[in-house]
Amino acid sequence: MSFLPLAHALASRQDLPVPDWLFAWGASIVLIVSFFALAAGWRSPRFEQLHERPLGAGISRALLGLPVQALCGLVGVLLLGVAVYAGLEGTVAPDRNFALTFVFVTCWLGFPFFSAILGDVFRPFNPWRAIGRLAGGGFRLIAGQRPAHLAYPERLGRWPAVVGLLAVVWLEVVYGKGGVGFDPHTVAVAALVYSGYALAMMAVFGVEEWCERGEVFSVYFGMFGRLGIFGTRDGRLERRRPFSAATTWATVPGSAALVIASIATTSFDGGQEGAFKDPLESLTEWFVDQDISLVTSLRLSGTVFMLLCFALVAGVYLLGIRGMRTVPGAPDLAKLRTGFAHTLIPIALAYLVAHYFSFFVFQEQAQFTYLLSDPLGTGTTDLFGTAGSGVDYTILTANTIWYIQVASLLAGHVMGLVLAHDRALVYWSDYRRATASQYWMLAVMVAFTCFGLYLLSVANG
Amino acid sequence: MNARTGIIGALLVVVAVVLLIVLSGGEDDGGDTTTGGSAVSSETGKGKGREGGKQAQTGTKPQVPTIVVDENGEPVGGVAEITVSKGDEVRFKVKSAIAEEIHVHGYDLMKDVEAGGTVSFAFPAEIEGIFEAELEGHAEQILELRVEP
Repeated sequence: MSFLPLAHALASRQDLPVPDWLFAWGASIVLIVSFFALAAGWRSPRFEQLHERPLGAGISRALLGLPVQALCGLVGVLLLGVAVYAGLEGTVAPDRNFALTFVFVTCWLGFPFFSAILGDVFRPFNPWRAIGRLAGGGFRLIAGQRPAHLAYPERLGRWPAVVGLLAVVWLEVVYGKGGVGFDPHTVAVAALVYSGYALAMMAVFGVEEWCERGEVFSVYFGMFGRLGIFGTRDGRLERRRPFSAATTWATVPGSAALVIASIATTSFDGGQEGAFKDPLESLTEWFVDQDISLVTSLRLSGTVFMLLCFALVAGVYLLGIRGMRTVPGAPDLAKLRTGFAHTLIPIALAYLVAHYFSFFVFQEQAQFTYLLSDPLGTGTTDLFGTAGSGVDYTILTANTIWYIQVASLLAGHVMGLVLAHDRALVYWSDYRRATASQYWMLAVMVAFTCFGLYLLSVANG
Repeated sequence: MNARTGIIGALLVVVAVVLLIVLSGGEDDGGDTTTGGSAVSSETGKGKGREGGKQAQTGTKPQVPTIVVDENGEPVGGVAEITVSKGDEVRFKVKSAIAEEIHVHGYDLMKDVEAGGTVSFAFPAEIEGIFEAELEGHAEQILELRVEP
């Protein structure tokens, strides 16, 4: 029995570590770019205004109207159904079953990537929202009134989604690490349990309310959707300046924790075969020495390190926030903490791209060939005639992957800096003080970006 | 740009340059050794204990690393490592105490080995990345293959 992370279970290929010379160049460019960002010192915010331009009324009505929304919802529910069915009835081999790749690669990675470009594309396909809305509509029809909901406790904010995000990644990279129990069947059962939970919460608090705050996938994908160029307002589609909608995202408690959780979990997964490999093994051995079974020990040590990553990333961010508080004229800590949370979204996205881009490109070939034609992995089904196809690993060379990894981290760094500088100009009326506050955020961003580069340079070491 | 920004900027540039020099100093060695391309450099760990002697006697011939699999379906001395450059030939043998099927992932090569038998692999390294070879039946990794550009 081997004990390998998910990427191993699904893909047959791992990325080579970024070579030292590229790491050095990347880190140097980070510092130089950061310096220019300070020196540039623009005096009025660039992205705090969305510059929305409504799209044509016809296209808005067509896309947001009931028929298209119902169709998208139906597609979402059907695909969830296929994934659960494949997980329950299909092969236990992770790489031959539709369920694992669909849930953890196509959706879990695909929606952040596409949302970051286009806007919140998950919303119409959200199967739980679709079921919830249908149920709500049915209730209105029968009872003749809107269903009564409890008021959502505002103090909870996005915290339920933070816990959910950690749980999903934990299931993916910690629970599954034992190589035991993490099979398509487990994922199908988890999906069913989650569906029950999500629908119950929607019944209690209301569909849109829960999607906005607690439904893990809506909240997580929606966060990246704020970077994208399309949005809706007052029932109308609009084009907006890229990244600008992020500035209005972090308005409720738990927002900062959500971005931090994203960065931390990606760091953990990216480091468990590299930077954290030896300490992880030591800790696992220590647990084994305490007469704990190997599988449980692996999961315990993984859990400890994932939480450590969360604490580390949160610590760096909070340190930066405390630093900014020392600049005269600063708002209080709570406001700063939430107010700068959105500046980490580009960094979270950059981490995702850097760590999973190649995995996504390769595994999606599997998704759209043999996993689509033979979802249960029986070897006898061939729905679309692509069951015999494989993954072409030569479409990306190691060099291409390295450059994309480093470029994404650099781009995330720059966008993070720009958003932070913008926000500082809103909080400090004097632009010199705004710039002074940004030494702190600059340090935070440099830390994250260099940490990201470091993880890549020792990945799969 | 005020004076303070200037000083901090200058400091950052200095740090950047120093970092660049320090880190790229180590690269000259690291970057080129792999492009030497003389086939296979391998570390079969303790596995050499059994096979290493035999390999040493073959003298000048290029060594073909042998991975020894024991009765429990585990590689003796842990997972072997082979690092090659793209375009080189990957060569290794598996000597197994049990009947198994050996699968080189990514390249998707499968070969059966009988109990007590040996099977040889030789193929061009055309896909870059890190791959594993495993015993299909035991789901046990026996080799990590690294193909560098």
